[in-house]
Amino acid sequence: MVNKFVIRFANDITPGSAPRAWSVGPGLPSLPSLLAHAKRHARWIAALAALLALGLLLPYWSATGTTPVAFAHLWKWFPALLSGLWVNVGISLLAMALGTVAGLLLGALSFSRWRATRTAVRWYVQVFRNAPTLVLIYFTTYVFPFEIRLFGGGVPFPDWVKVVLGLALPTSAIVAEIFRGAIQSIPSAQWEAAQSLGLRRSQIFRRVVLPQCLRRMLAPWMNLYASITMSTSLASLVGVHDVVDTAQIASNTVARTDFTVLIYLVLLALFFAYCYPIAHATRGLERRHERY
Amino acid sequence: MENTLLSDAVQALKPTGLNYEFLLDASERGAFIRGLGVTLELCLLTIPCSLLAGIALAAMLTSGNRPLAGVTRAFVEITRSTPTLVQLYCAFLVLNMLITQQLREWGVSSNPLTPFIWVVVVVSLHKGVFHAEALRAGIEAVPSTTLEAARSLGLSRMQLLSRVQLPLALRFALPSLVNNVVDLVKMTAVASAIAVGDVTYESIMIWSQRDNVLELLLLILLWFGLLTWLVSVAGRRLEHRLRMPGYGQ
Repeated sequence: MVNKFVIRFANDITPGSAPRAWSVGPGLPSLPSLLAHAKRHARWIAALAALLALGLLLPYWSATGTTPVAFAHLWKWFPALLSGLWVNVGISLLAMALGTVAGLLLGALSFSRWRATRTAVRWYVQVFRNAPTLVLIYFTTYVFPFEIRLFGGGVPFPDWVKVVLGLALPTSAIVAEIFRGAIQSIPSAQWEAAQSLGLRRSQIFRRVVLPQCLRRMLAPWMNLYASITMSTSLASLVGVHDVVDTAQIASNTVARTDFTVLIYLVLLALFFAYCYPIAHATRGLERRHERY
Repeated sequence: MENTLLSDAVQALKPTGLNYEFLLDASERGAFIRGLGVTLELCLLTIPCSLLAGIALAAMLTSGNRPLAGVTRAFVEITRSTPTLVQLYCAFLVLNMLITQQLREWGVSSNPLTPFIWVVVVVSLHKGVFHAEALRAGIEAVPSTTLEAARSLGLSRMQLLSRVQLPLALRFALPSLVNNVVDLVKMTAVASAIAVGDVTYESIMIWSQRDNVLELLLLILLWFGLLTWLVSVAGRRLEHRLRMPGYGQ
């Protein structure tokens, strides 16, 4: 949609002729079409406008020396908040990487020839899908030791690594389910057709089934990433200095009502700014897949 | 008699490395069982509340009133893309604080809203958003030909809604609603963050004294496993009972 518009817009400004894109006339991006375009992207435009307004307000406040006290404090704490958010993002990325690798392995094992393996995988998936994430985070935080003894020396085992493990457990169970569902969604006739072409089992899997599966797995996998990112907020409950913990410290240190309101709203906004685009893109992907 | 049975069980588990001695201490056992009860209570209150919230939000989303639908859509998007814990903090640490201050100005010294109530409200609204999305998808999944057929039989708008559209929508939405309720049961663990005495909170209190984390975590997981299993069994029963012969599947 965007591309189409840009091309039309560019065509209107033909080289050599005076740019007349903003005058209303025949053959131009008319005002109604511009308006329709703006309407379609209303939420992004609103977000941009809000950022722009803030960007103008901040220098105005500092120039006139009328910055509200709460915002002055926020300005001071904002770098700490961002580095806290970075901890959340790091935890979510690591947990997702670990959980995806483990989940794909488990998913493959759920098609194992041996019944015992299949049962074990099913139990693993059931247990870790139905356990509250917070309880799993407590589990890995308190059950694992402070440091691991390796070759006589102690290697520290920091809390954030334990949170990564705690989040990787449910992630692996859900990825295993997503993988299994994707494989089962490929009609078995395709296996037969590929077999009749003389392909081997491994070849069918790699060249026929897997490419289709990966495409089908992308949307639920991104959904999972957004939900794991939101779950990283629980890390603050086991003493990891993440963005939620930083906000709480800031709120207690400054101890002003207006600042407390502001910092928790900013906290909400930070998570929203990170997770909403992912959710939005996922829905776009899902819609596109419905058309296949 | 009961106590000897319990102590026998505790003794029998000792060789496996699991120390359940806290169960023999009357006060700790009482606290733990109270915690189990509070978690159950949270679930029993939050499930119907979230369903009501979901129906209300779905009605607003599909009302056709653009400002109302727009505001609801914004609420849905914000709720879906932010962590429950942060929402709980925004409600309990921010909204509750403002309410308490306002009440104090009016000369009311105590705030009637307890942490328990805030958890019920926040979790209900959070899961209500997901219910609303499932219901909306269900309403949209009713084939237009079915609706046309019903209209051609002379059903009024209300009859169409109550006899054709909603019954079908509920059946389409039921699997995701059950999924949401399972998630909701798991989500109640977040109550421990604001010191509601649910099973997670009481366990933290016990294990910080006794250092028996693994033993307690196994019990917590068993409890949540039981609750989520009950929900999914109830969901399957309901799906079976509501199944229309020859429709779907």
